[in-house]
Amino acid sequence: MNQITQRVNNCFANVFPDLRPEDAARVSTASFAKWDSVAHVTLLSSIAEEFGIELEMSDFEELTSYALIVDFLEQKQQ
Amino acid sequence: MDLRSKRTLTLPTPLVIPKDNSPDAMTLNQALAVVNSKKVRGLRQVHYLACGFEPLHLSVLLRAYLLTALPNDDVEIAHGVYGDLRGNIEAAYQSPALAAFVVIEWSDLDSRLGLRASGGWGTKAKTDILVSLESRMNQLESALCHLCTRMPVVVAGPSLPLPPIGNTIDLQASVFELELEQMLAIFLVRLSRITGLRITRCPSANPRMDPRMELMAGFPYKIPYASSLARTLSGVLCQPQPKKGLITDLDDTLWAGIVGEVGTNGVSWHQDSHTQIHGLYQQLLGHLASMGVLLGVCSKNEQATVEAVFERQDLLLESRQFFPVIANWGPKSGSVSRVLKAWNIAPAAVVFVDDSPMEIEEVQQAFPEMTCLQFNGKDPDKSLRLFAELRNHFGKPLVVEEDLLRQASIRSSAEFSELGGDTVSPEFLSTLMGVVTLDFRREVAAGRALELINKTNQFNLNGRRIIEGEWQRYLAHEDCVCAVVSYQDKFGSLGRVAVLLGIKKHQTLHISHWVMSCRAFSRKIEHHTLEAIFTRMGVGVIELDFIPTEKNNPLVELLTEIGVVSSANGLYELSRSTFLSRCGILPHNLLEKQE
Repeated sequence: MNQITQRVNNCFANVFPDLRPEDAARVSTASFAKWDSVAHVTLLSSIAEEFGIELEMSDFEELTSYALIVDFLEQKQQ
Repeated sequence: MDLRSKRTLTLPTPLVIPKDNSPDAMTLNQALAVVNSKKVRGLRQVHYLACGFEPLHLSVLLRAYLLTALPNDDVEIAHGVYGDLRGNIEAAYQSPALAAFVVIEWSDLDSRLGLRASGGWGTKAKTDILVSLESRMNQLESALCHLCTRMPVVVAGPSLPLPPIGNTIDLQASVFELELEQMLAIFLVRLSRITGLRITRCPSANPRMDPRMELMAGFPYKIPYASSLARTLSGVLCQPQPKKGLITDLDDTLWAGIVGEVGTNGVSWHQDSHTQIHGLYQQLLGHLASMGVLLGVCSKNEQATVEAVFERQDLLLESRQFFPVIANWGPKSGSVSRVLKAWNIAPAAVVFVDDSPMEIEEVQQAFPEMTCLQFNGKDPDKSLRLFAELRNHFGKPLVVEEDLLRQASIRSSAEFSELGGDTVSPEFLSTLMGVVTLDFRREVAAGRALELINKTNQFNLNGRRIIEGEWQRYLAHEDCVCAVVSYQDKFGSLGRVAVLLGIKKHQTLHISHWVMSCRAFSRKIEHHTLEAIFTRMGVGVIELDFIPTEKNNPLVELLTEIGVVSSANGLYELSRSTFLSRCGILPHNLLEKQE
């Protein structure tokens, strides 16, 4: 597990405390009922704060799964 | 009966003061971690956050600060729907919440003043905004008045900038903006006068508005500002008990100079002698005294020398506002001890101010619970920070009548003791022309009564504290009996000194709270209170929810004296016949005020 996924996992654990860590990598807004619109804003705000970045409005529309979020952060770091 | 051994009853949650005084506000991730780390907790306490925007991060942050401030409770934040602040205030009234936070923004007063409306910013619209604002404010005031009858309410006024609606450049205020701010100021003043409502003042210097989040999700604040706002809201609700007394040094503290060296007229505190900072300190002490804070003096000086300065006409507070004034050459801790004895209050309720680090250290070691602060007259920045700190130690939401009586009543208690009052001879008490007043009206049982319950230690039935919301629920109970007891005699009035709170069922009164100020000891006020309950309310048996604490020995002695016994249901009880056979002749006149 690299540093990005570790930090993303922490954010997921903060927002979804009942989500098992081993399931986190597979979740998306479509597959996980607790990932509603309020949780989405909270999760992405948590990630933006953790990584010290500002997210565009379009990012909020596109970053709808764990995998997409990690990919996005890895690209940001390159 | 062994009253000290009973420790089986469960203590309810006490009012707990926030411990986190760090200047840094929580981040969102820290707040989420706090919320998640404290999931399994005690009593569930609902607080209502009423706002017109999406509560989102403010709700999380507020919950985290409240969980920190109320570590024994499980705090839940309830909220209403987007865009309906007034409806949400009304929903808070219907909710089981113990307290409400109401956050008002300009868009709640008129949606055209927010970013998500399209009603226009032209001249006609602005005229209409000014006209409609007044009725909107009246509606909110009415809803808040109603809500305050049920729970304490903390209100945050608009903190976001207005849209670019003025006709001037942004460095120049426009008439329209000034008119809005004037209306807002008048509105907030009106709100601040509602009993039980507190207005916040959020000191954050962080940027406030997050237009991206506002347009996308309806949440208007940047997270650092939301955190400061949440901390402010929580801090205004969960305020520490204010300190009661301030003991000050004199030389290079109350005035500049060593009076023993430069003489009575050589010490100074004025601008023209460049010692104005000491004058400001005098003014602050005078202001604190006017709020009922006790002021005492401990100085290494001759008593006559000090008294000569206190006769100077240019002193910026009245010398009689200091009591007692102790000047000698002994250790300061000894003098402080004498002041505490005269005031009869605990060291934890006192602030000691001195310019000498050595004296501060000596007093601090003798009284670890006392707040000891250094006065640095050479550094105005430090002095101003000290003044701000003193304000926070003594500030309280409401100054009540008893605060203003306290200084005089301490003096009269000293006279009372000198005349032999502490020996409580019935003959002596009967010469006092005392009047004990029992006020059973629930509408007057606010402010002072709750303050007494939450700060009294020695004469306290069980040490239980009540938060405002619980208090209001208690009084709303149809069988509730609440007696607020006042006392006055030839030495003056002590004001409201005792509270008895209970539930009456048939001929039994179950007393859950009974406290009396230590200033009222040795006058048989407690006997008068029970006598009135028994003989005038048709009560045959009193059940007492007594729990021994580290400090309530004075009450234990009374209960033993009047014949309280253990009862089968784990409580303690006192029958009318037992009490009347033991209470003796009561020396004062009794007045009652009924609902």
